[in-house]
Amino acid sequence: MADDSYAREEELNEEEEVDESSFRAVKDAVLFAIDVSSSMLNPRPSNNPKKPGEESPTSAALKCAYHLMQQRIISNPKDMLGVLLYGTQNSKFYDEDGDGSADLSYPHCYLFTDLDVPSAEEVKELRALAGNEEEVRGILQPSEEPISMANVLFCANQIFTSKAPNFLSRRLFIVTDNDNPHAGNKALRSASTVRARDLYDLGVTIELFPISQPDHEFDTTKFYDDIIYKTAPSDGEAPAYLQPDMKTSTAQGDGIELLDSLLSSINSRSVAKRSIFSNIPMEIGPGLKISVNGYLLLRRQEPARSCFVWLGGETPQIAKGITTLLTDDTAHTVEKSEIRKAYKFGGESISFTPEELSSLRDFGEPVIRIIGFKPMSALPIWANVMHPTFIYPSEEDYIGSTRVFSALHQKLLKDNKLALVWFISRKKSSPVLGAMIAGAEKTDENGVQKLPPGMWIIPLPFADDVRKQPPADFTVAPEPLIDAMKQVFGQLQLPKGVYDPERYPNPSLQWHYRILQALALDEDHPGEPDDKTIPKYRQIHKRAGEYVLEWSEKLDALSDKMFGGSPERSTLVKRGPRDSNGDEGSSEQPSKRVKTESGSSDIDGDIKKAMEKGTLSKLTVATLKEFLTSHGRAAAGKKADLIERVEQYFEDKS
Amino acid sequence: MADKEATVYIVDVARSMGEKRHGRSITDLEWAMQYVWDKITTTVSTGRKTANVGVIALRTDDTSNELQDEDSFANISVISHLKQFLMPDIRKLQNAIQPSHTYKGDAISALVLAIHMINTHCRKLKYKRKIVLITNGTGLIDPENVEDIKDKIKEDNIELFIFGPDFDDVEWGVKEEDKDERKALNEKLLRELANDCPNGTFATLENAVANVDIPETKEVRIVPTFKGHLSLGDPGQYETALRIPVERCYKTSVAKPPSASSFVSQSGTEAGQEGGPSATQEAGQGDGTTNVRTSRTYQIDDESAPGGKVDVERDDLAKGYEYGRTAVHISQTDENITSLTTYAGLEIIGFIDQDKYERYLHMSQVSFITASKGYKKGSLALSSLIHALYEAEDYAVARLVIKEAKPPILVLLAPYMTNDFECLLEAPLPYTEDLRTYRFPSLDKVATVSGKIVTEHRNLPTKSLQESMDQFVDSMELDIKDDDGDTVEGLPIEFSYSPVLHRIQSAIKWRAVHPEDPIQEPSAQLTRFSHPEEDLVAKSKQELENLIAAADVKKVPPKTKGRKRNREAEKPLSGLDVDALLNLEPKRAKISPENAIPEFKQLLSRADNVDTINDAVKQMTDIIENQIKHSLGDANYERVVEGLGTMREELVDYEEPALYNELVRDLKEKILGEKLGGDRKELWWLIRKGKLGLIDQETSERSEVLADEAAEFLVPS
Repeated sequence: MADDSYAREEELNEEEEVDESSFRAVKDAVLFAIDVSSSMLNPRPSNNPKKPGEESPTSAALKCAYHLMQQRIISNPKDMLGVLLYGTQNSKFYDEDGDGSADLSYPHCYLFTDLDVPSAEEVKELRALAGNEEEVRGILQPSEEPISMANVLFCANQIFTSKAPNFLSRRLFIVTDNDNPHAGNKALRSASTVRARDLYDLGVTIELFPISQPDHEFDTTKFYDDIIYKTAPSDGEAPAYLQPDMKTSTAQGDGIELLDSLLSSINSRSVAKRSIFSNIPMEIGPGLKISVNGYLLLRRQEPARSCFVWLGGETPQIAKGITTLLTDDTAHTVEKSEIRKAYKFGGESISFTPEELSSLRDFGEPVIRIIGFKPMSALPIWANVMHPTFIYPSEEDYIGSTRVFSALHQKLLKDNKLALVWFISRKKSSPVLGAMIAGAEKTDENGVQKLPPGMWIIPLPFADDVRKQPPADFTVAPEPLIDAMKQVFGQLQLPKGVYDPERYPNPSLQWHYRILQALALDEDHPGEPDDKTIPKYRQIHKRAGEYVLEWSEKLDALSDKMFGGSPERSTLVKRGPRDSNGDEGSSEQPSKRVKTESGSSDIDGDIKKAMEKGTLSKLTVATLKEFLTSHGRAAAGKKADLIERVEQYFEDKS
Repeated sequence: MADKEATVYIVDVARSMGEKRHGRSITDLEWAMQYVWDKITTTVSTGRKTANVGVIALRTDDTSNELQDEDSFANISVISHLKQFLMPDIRKLQNAIQPSHTYKGDAISALVLAIHMINTHCRKLKYKRKIVLITNGTGLIDPENVEDIKDKIKEDNIELFIFGPDFDDVEWGVKEEDKDERKALNEKLLRELANDCPNGTFATLENAVANVDIPETKEVRIVPTFKGHLSLGDPGQYETALRIPVERCYKTSVAKPPSASSFVSQSGTEAGQEGGPSATQEAGQGDGTTNVRTSRTYQIDDESAPGGKVDVERDDLAKGYEYGRTAVHISQTDENITSLTTYAGLEIIGFIDQDKYERYLHMSQVSFITASKGYKKGSLALSSLIHALYEAEDYAVARLVIKEAKPPILVLLAPYMTNDFECLLEAPLPYTEDLRTYRFPSLDKVATVSGKIVTEHRNLPTKSLQESMDQFVDSMELDIKDDDGDTVEGLPIEFSYSPVLHRIQSAIKWRAVHPEDPIQEPSAQLTRFSHPEEDLVAKSKQELENLIAAADVKKVPPKTKGRKRNREAEKPLSGLDVDALLNLEPKRAKISPENAIPEFKQLLSRADNVDTINDAVKQMTDIIENQIKHSLGDANYERVVEGLGTMREELVDYEEPALYNELVRDLKEKILGEKLGGDRKELWWLIRKGKLGLIDQETSERSEVLADEAAEFLVPS
């Protein structure tokens, strides 16, 4: 076990979000506390004729929890989620299971999903509850007697204490429409505030998702302002003046609208804020330092790697791999501290002591040091090697950091400038030369922030990282052809002429987890994937088709004129006479299909004919390969494989 | 593939080369060898069998070469014939290159010998041929046959470099006063020789050695990462679809430092302590070291087993994935069941405005997209797209699948053109899942608790701060110069070298030649951009001073960070005094184990004397020890770490480090002495990992524990 931890420690990559200053585990636990009262269960019909259907606040909350659960399995596979219903007739807590009678620790609290990394079974159960399915409907019975919020909060406390000990981030999401649960009872009210203080001292952040009633606006001053603290004490990274913006996030409206607004509000808080470094100095000039925190707001989300599963028991179990280091000759176990490193050089090994090795990577303390400014236009579009780091000021080490950062931010935005920075993100991490650019805050139509205000450090490539340009034909297109092309894509602007990442979920990632979910729950194959990245072919044809044809005619004519005398030579395939003359018009059926490569329109025809006649095997391997490659299919293997894949291609198309 | 290489170094080792001149601290020979060693070790580090090196020593005491039968080849020794240079050759060369006791030996003869060596070695094969001659030019040089030699060098297409200490070099700005007459004569002869060769270079040694510092970048072969079609529309469905055959290869790709292999000394003792750092023989070959390999075993949770885990056989395991905490097993026949069916292609989705694209959305390295070679029509078509994008100030967004069954990525396509080259540059874009929605407050306005928006606040710049910042930024505009002193457009990418990569490489090279010496500081080239240039700093001095004054930034003294004594109590949004309510709860004097952390903190916050703090710590310690004692395996460990960590933080804040240090010393003894329910070593490992050892003086002023002692405390004994 200890060895395993060593191994994991070694795998810690520079990118990993670790808070070196803390003993806490960099994990997040979210517990939903959903109010199940009769008003929360009351379905609200939708007023929007475009989106009919009704939805009760409780079911909207459950749907959100289900959505978040699915999402976090993909994006935060180590983080925990739980669902606690309160105000229910029945109660359930660990080994207690009762109907609300005597001796229950937490009456009217129903721990529906225990706080843990969700299991497939729990996903299924929550979906059933959110879908209001028959067998679980009975759980959503409101209690007849009033409930105690102090009790609910302490119940949550106990769940966090035992299930998510030592987590860096623990959050309680309360969804309710009752802004004054203890209006008439001062004792209960003050007990609640004490229990809320316990949660605060435990490091649990309460996030309120208030729902206004049709005839009554949710008023946080009545009760919840006594319950909620600015930030949890353990959340040292949150800027001191960051307030929970409850005013804007009160879910209102009816039916589906309610669900949508709740969903967007919960989504915007779905990820716990984690920094990759905190309070490192930004040196604006010699003698002027401020402190900043760094965040990875952009990082490629990959599916979790496959693991080993042990099938010897009743249910499949994940087997943990433990790496032991052994000597090559005697297979002795080796302690990490005994290991030395050496480099191959001139047929021998050149060795260094661990101290030397680590000093080779040491270029000083972490810093972001500005070494000058340049216009944004100096940053070439190709100067990129990895995702950027987002930085935001912190008042922790230098009072006044935020205002200085803000002044710099505004100046860079206004004048379109960048700062060139020498950037060491943590001790012994490789220094980079970075372009620090200002990012403006962007919000959607509801005022919800989509891109935060702050600076982005783009690591620049070093001279070593820039590759030379490949040899390529150089033929500058004449102006008429360019104009024809402009016509084409003038019709195909993305909405507002912007790339919006939110419109494009990663299709392979989503598909991977949908299949896993189906397998885990023993469900049917989900059929066709929903892939938003596939171009809208019909739209392209309708909007730009005519222009493409015009462009293509010009291209053909120009190509004849420019290269006409010397037919294209390709070593790959024999080509038909029509094509090698570049004269498409002379064939019997003039093909309008726009292709700029020579030959392959013939190949398509030949292959199709051969396919119909069943004579694919008579074609050459080269022809088959070219056909497959030009249709984006793998072209490796024996002839029989190639033929099989060509047949598959036509099968897919029919 | 890189060309084969044959390089012969001719090093003058005359007695006079062993002298120190013009106030230098090293001999001329040592100086010359700085250049030679760098070049040779650079060649060795490529590990290429076809990069061959030969070395001739000129003006040696004895004579050893193929042409020695002729008198003119006396006092010339071939130290190494042309071959791949390895460590033994380096050691041999080191011993051989020593100042001799003679002044005799002809440089031109050495050149003839070098040409002869190259000829014998390379015959008529394709080689990059190179001769480097370093001499101080003080000996007798016979100018006979020089013209023939020039012709031969020209004919064989040999590159010739001639360097010498204190050679006059107008370009570099070196002129030796009172130059010896013979040396002047020789310099003239050698200069003419080099200049008359098509690939000849003549320079002063200082120039050559200075260039050693400039890191060499390695050229990487161009390999296409995708070959297929750039298309618009679906050619399978619509006659109006457009397809251009294209290729993709990297424009940028991070060059990684060489990777080290692991070894241990065979005896099992500390390897580094025996002979100090040294260039060892091949690991595992009789030098007392052995390579390290890894072995993997597998475990599953089993509550009935001691320790809660049992080993399982690798053969009983199948491939699978985690869905939440559920293991999903995938049978071999279904191996690709979770991957999306895709086909290779680069398909345009739509177009966006250049000025609405946020540059920071680039997710990774950038690639070239060029028309496939040999399809002129294709390159014409692509050119029209490139120019149209450029003129319309648009980018294209496309879906790229580099190979059948690979996941699709969305990419930005940007136009790029120079005088003789055009392409699209492709940069990967983020998907929804790649963008994390952390929210941050605005930087130009502040929302108060009551929801009011204010534009004047201590976190916002005042007018004078903003003005000072504007002026400072303007005064720090970069003016980057290249090696010739010309201003560079854009950013200094081509002069910035990967510091870690080159530092490690030069350390390896240095140690290979100087096994007993400590490693060197990084070369100035690598840290050139670590600080603003002095000129620029001087120029903007006044602006910076104004900015500092207007900013009024105050450093928080490290020891008052988060100090809690006498602080104001934490309050909820409403400002309600919850502490007052807590005081009304008498039972909270005793910490309950199930709500320990909050109650411990609250007890401390109400403590008005040390006794109360003492008592709280005592109670908390008992609770923690109980948790350890009753922990089934590691069940309670995280709770223990949290409790311990909380105590440590609080006691630092309350400036009572001694209390913590006492308890943690005691706890360590109990854990390692197995007094808390058996073997709890893993818990101690967790405590180490969480750095929950002694509070040292750097953390708390009041501590009496030194940093070294605190570090030692955590090391397993």
